[in-house]
Amino acid sequence: MKKLLLILFLWPACLFAQPLRVAVAANAQFVMEQLRTAFQKKTGISVEAIVSSSGKLTTQIQQGAPYDVFLSADMSYPETLHKEGLTEDAPVVYAYGTLVLWTMGNLPLATDLKVLTNPAVRHIALANPAKAPYGEAAEGLLKYANLFVQVKAKIVYGESIAQVNQYVLTGSAEIGFTAKSVVLDSTLKQRGHWIELPAKGYSPIAQGVVVLKRTTQAKAAQQFVEFLRSPTARRILQRFGYRLP
Amino acid sequence: MPIDWEPIWLTLRLASMTTFILLLIGVPLAGWLALSRFRLKPVVETLISLPLVLPPSVVGFYLLLAFSPTGWLGAWLLRVVNLQLVFSFEGLVLASLLYSLPFMVHPIQAGLENLPTSWREAAYTLGQSPVRTLWRVLLPNCKPALLTGIVLSFAHTIGEFGLVLMIGGNLPGQTRVASIAIYDEVELLHFESAHAYAALLLGLSFLILLLVYAVNKRVTV
Repeated sequence: MKKLLLILFLWPACLFAQPLRVAVAANAQFVMEQLRTAFQKKTGISVEAIVSSSGKLTTQIQQGAPYDVFLSADMSYPETLHKEGLTEDAPVVYAYGTLVLWTMGNLPLATDLKVLTNPAVRHIALANPAKAPYGEAAEGLLKYANLFVQVKAKIVYGESIAQVNQYVLTGSAEIGFTAKSVVLDSTLKQRGHWIELPAKGYSPIAQGVVVLKRTTQAKAAQQFVEFLRSPTARRILQRFGYRLP
Repeated sequence: MPIDWEPIWLTLRLASMTTFILLLIGVPLAGWLALSRFRLKPVVETLISLPLVLPPSVVGFYLLLAFSPTGWLGAWLLRVVNLQLVFSFEGLVLASLLYSLPFMVHPIQAGLENLPTSWREAAYTLGQSPVRTLWRVLLPNCKPALLTGIVLSFAHTIGEFGLVLMIGGNLPGQTRVASIAIYDEVELLHFESAHAYAALLLGLSFLILLLVYAVNKRVTV
């Protein structure tokens, strides 16, 4: 009996190969689900996604986290890793992200962002600019619109885009800056309403991908990066509102 | 890297306020639990002890839902007293009250239950009410238990992290307490300032606990 249990216990380990571990910036968590499925269908390689802010993932990678591929929300984090010799190659852009303003209430959304000064808006959620490129872009946009000083007291910081989404969805914050790929996710499409923010006022969010040097599955990792440029992946990325390189 | 004292002061403010309010709530509650023969007492005790075993993320998640302006509690508070509990210091105090309640109630309750029954009976036969008995006879005789409750609640609130991460929103001077500041500094690779905060908290916690154990050793009931 004990032997049988042991065999059962060890079984999966020898039956399945270790999945490819992909560290994903929170803005791309939903699109990653679809990319994962498509990639597995195509190659038979299973992918495990680890979602967090780009800054946090970068720190974890510097500390030796066992990831194979890193999908950042910008170019500078993977660039840093590349300079430190932790990646196979320099980062390549896999998508350009877009910022949206999202609310569960019936606030009059407009691209001039004047809605943020509305007394009904008590809290504005954005991702921590020190760790999340989308937060940095949102803060830049507020400064560009000359609203930053005026609304500063209302700003609350999420750990990453993921926590911003929590705040907006629970109504804890009346309004928040998130990624277009979030509001286009099929489960969130029906929730609240949003408006796309014009790309002038913040630099386009070029998102880079790198294969990490410490990977034990260099071939599969490389395949995944190439897959991101395939027509299938491009279609998926486009469907989630990303612009393509 | 100069250390920003604000998170430290905020943590101390949160811990003192929580401890003070818990003392006001915890003493009568512990007294009632120690003396009453209420049939549903185990249920009340269970509810009080839940924060001991629940992950802070569970408490944090429910509080995020309850405190949000679209939740019934959050909406009511906003309408009636214009109080917003999510992303605010007040919210952290309320969350800490729930979260540190067992640390105040358990030691005091245990202290009261360990006193000889004859003292209480003697006071009753001399015509004292239960409340007066508790106040004049029982509590003065379990000072170490009271001190333990106060110190543990204080220390436990200092150590809060997951709960604050869920409902705080990282606002300087409002919800960016020391434990969150450490977390941020580590993530940004500012290990020096993380060290400074961490060492301060370590020293503070050590001193607090040392005080408890030293006093408890000296005072025998």
